[in-house]
Amino acid sequence: MRWVALFRREALILAVCGVLAFFARGVVLEDDPIRSLTHPDGVRAALFDHYQEKSAFRGKIFVEFGDLLEPERTAVAAALRGAGYEEVPFFEPPSSEQLLALATLLPADNVRRLTSGDALRARAREVLAVATLPGGDAYLTAVQTDPLGLGAALLARLAGGAGGAGRDDGPGSGALHVYRSPQPLDYERVERVYDLLASLSPRVSFIGADFFAVENYRAVKHDIVVCSSLGLVVTLVVFFALTGRWVLLGLLFFGSIVSYLTGVLAIRVFYGEIYAVVLAYTSTFVGFNNESLVHLAGVDLDRRSRSLLGVWSAIGTTVIGFLVLLLGRSVMIRQMALASLGGMAGFLAFLYAYRPTLRAARFRGFAWPKVTVSPAAVTALCVASTVGVVVVGVPRLETHVEAFRFTTPTLDAQIEHFSRRLDALSLENVVAVEARGTPEAALAPLAAAGLVDMRAHPLSAYRGPAAQAETLAALREAYPAATAELRALLEEGGLRLDVPSAGSARVQDGWDYLRALGAIGPVRWMDEVAGRHYVIAGLRAGAAVPPGTVPLSPKHHYDALLSSSSRELAWLFLCGLAVMAVYLGYLQRSAARVLYVFAPLFLSAFAYCAWARLTGATVTIVHVMGASIVIGLAMDYTAVSVSADHGDVELSKVLLTGLCTLASFGVLLFARHPVLRDLGVVVSIGCGIALAFALFVRLGPGARAAA
Amino acid sequence: MIPALLSLALVAGAPAPLTPEALRDHYAGVRSLTADVVQVKQGKYWARPLESRIRLQYTPGRVVWETLAPIPSTVVVGDAGMTVTGSDGRPRDAGPVSSDPRFAAVMRFIRALFAVDLPAIERDFALSYAPGLLVATPRPGSNVQLFREIRLQFDAALELTTVDLETATERTHLSFSRVERAR
Repeated sequence: MRWVALFRREALILAVCGVLAFFARGVVLEDDPIRSLTHPDGVRAALFDHYQEKSAFRGKIFVEFGDLLEPERTAVAAALRGAGYEEVPFFEPPSSEQLLALATLLPADNVRRLTSGDALRARAREVLAVATLPGGDAYLTAVQTDPLGLGAALLARLAGGAGGAGRDDGPGSGALHVYRSPQPLDYERVERVYDLLASLSPRVSFIGADFFAVENYRAVKHDIVVCSSLGLVVTLVVFFALTGRWVLLGLLFFGSIVSYLTGVLAIRVFYGEIYAVVLAYTSTFVGFNNESLVHLAGVDLDRRSRSLLGVWSAIGTTVIGFLVLLLGRSVMIRQMALASLGGMAGFLAFLYAYRPTLRAARFRGFAWPKVTVSPAAVTALCVASTVGVVVVGVPRLETHVEAFRFTTPTLDAQIEHFSRRLDALSLENVVAVEARGTPEAALAPLAAAGLVDMRAHPLSAYRGPAAQAETLAALREAYPAATAELRALLEEGGLRLDVPSAGSARVQDGWDYLRALGAIGPVRWMDEVAGRHYVIAGLRAGAAVPPGTVPLSPKHHYDALLSSSSRELAWLFLCGLAVMAVYLGYLQRSAARVLYVFAPLFLSAFAYCAWARLTGATVTIVHVMGASIVIGLAMDYTAVSVSADHGDVELSKVLLTGLCTLASFGVLLFARHPVLRDLGVVVSIGCGIALAFALFVRLGPGARAAA
Repeated sequence: MIPALLSLALVAGAPAPLTPEALRDHYAGVRSLTADVVQVKQGKYWARPLESRIRLQYTPGRVVWETLAPIPSTVVVGDAGMTVTGSDGRPRDAGPVSSDPRFAAVMRFIRALFAVDLPAIERDFALSYAPGLLVATPRPGSNVQLFREIRLQFDAALELTTVDLETATERTHLSFSRVERAR
């Protein structure tokens, strides 16, 4: 009991941590931060979702066996089966109604040939022969669906029209094997499949979202372990080296655990799934926390108002920075902001319990030479930077989906291989075109402009109503007698099959045809959204998406979406800066001081624009997000420095927090995931410039007098 | 003396113990196999039980399933797919159905079955052994789920005597005779 009384505060915190961990339990990790993006235009979002729902690539992987030896094939098949993959046909066998609905697409002569006496006798012989095999009833089920063999004739005709899929190396050739993914994915088992396939590449080619998920999973697992542990250790070492206080170190360490839990809980309140990359990002909390701890500890009572001014300036700008990120559309960025705000709140609540310890803490001041600049010089620096940005120009703001995905040379090689295959099928760059009349008329302008190769589109296999009517007449005339004759032939051999009638055969218009084709094939060719009709077509290789069309390929769709989100976030970022300026203006009561706080940001912006101009680099959504974190973190240095009139103790605190932040974000440079690495680069550079400015540039006495 | 003779007679008549090792050794490296088969099929698609006489020829990668009666035909199951030759003597490719992975898995299984290729059978089936009997049930997720159970009966010399296959719609009984194997 004595121990409990002595450590009752710690016991209480432990209990709170237990409760938080209880509520945060069952966190579901999501590996793909892109999938959550939804287009704000409902029609575009629906068109994309419908196309992707039907996509042959969703929930499946593709393996193309090259010249593998039999034992290697066996090993791959065993690994796939062990991971829960089930081989499925590229084309799902259509029902008898679906087959007959499309039967009018066959020439009338074709139907006459299939219903001729010779063909029926040959068909009956084949059926009776195969039926005697062990397991022959599976074949009989297929025959009952398609007694005359219309399916094979239709496949030959339609696959030939749809981009040559019927060629020797096409999907139906057997070279390409399709496997349905297990649900849920067992990463360890899929890793084994992936490693085996990668070891056999290039003799085997493979693609599927599962393999990207595995690489992302590996990268994030590495980042969570390496960045969290390295970031924590380096930060604690730097912190202890400069403070020499075990108590403060303990507060930082245990407070960071609390903040981690509250951060995850903050996300959990709003989202069922947490992005793994966000979880890896929480490794930076120790960087934010050390700022709060250092500035709240050892407040000089003689200069209390100045110190608190710095603390409120720092905390306020950080909160504003993250609140701005909450307004963005990207769920991943919102989760990062929620985690940061939740983590910060948790850490401040933790520190509240240790107020006496914080009050008792003392920091030693270090002195070093500084450059004193007048308010006019700071103003001139800000103006010159702004003019510089205008002169060199603002870099293009665009984000490509690759910036969010971890990839490897192995995966790149597979993408290149299958892109060539899709390109040959004209499915690499697919668009939806709104049609007011027939689908052919809607595609005609694109075909005339050379953007769509109509020979690769299924409409090339479409037959006009007159030709279809001839086939329908032949079918209605011959089909009942032919099926009756086939039944009789099979009954002679002891087989009894129920065959469908030709009732569902009819003349199809272009829309019916594309709809029916989409129902049995792996690709959707038309859609109806909000009462409007859209025809779907693949563009020729290298063709840009024409205006007025809706891109449906994931890369183009997400590139456009991410770029628009980047621009939106950039505007929010600027709004956040304006709010910060007002907030700091209210606290500091001096334009020169506010300009001093913002000066490193002006300087960084100009430096980045100049660098982007020289290298042709663009600004991505990750850079904007990083800039928001920079203003949340790095502006604290100048805000605290100017608030405390560049006092030695406060500047020593800035040095300490700056070095810790550089340590915790610097380790992100070792991250494998591109989002974390880019974030590490932007924040390290931004914070580095701001730290140097706050430590070595002092605002002259003119500003103090004015304030 | 009489009890001893009786016990000897009982031991001699009992089925040989069937082990995976013994079967593997017995059927390893088979270069060809021929057999006469009598097959009885009954089920949903059959108007009455059908008895047929078949001549089976196996070489690695190829099974020739020649139905002698009641309706002569030949089905060749090979690496490249399946061809059917009717009484007119013209071979016909089975078409797109043979590229369906589920059908292809059944064809692979047929080749493995007649060669008693245990490693190949085990890829898709879980095996259990009883005296003189091997029972195969499909593994979850395998492409031969159409089979419910397959029972292979062996004699004391480990020669295949009968095979019973059961699917959702059909029961098949195969009796083997004049089995000739070459290594």
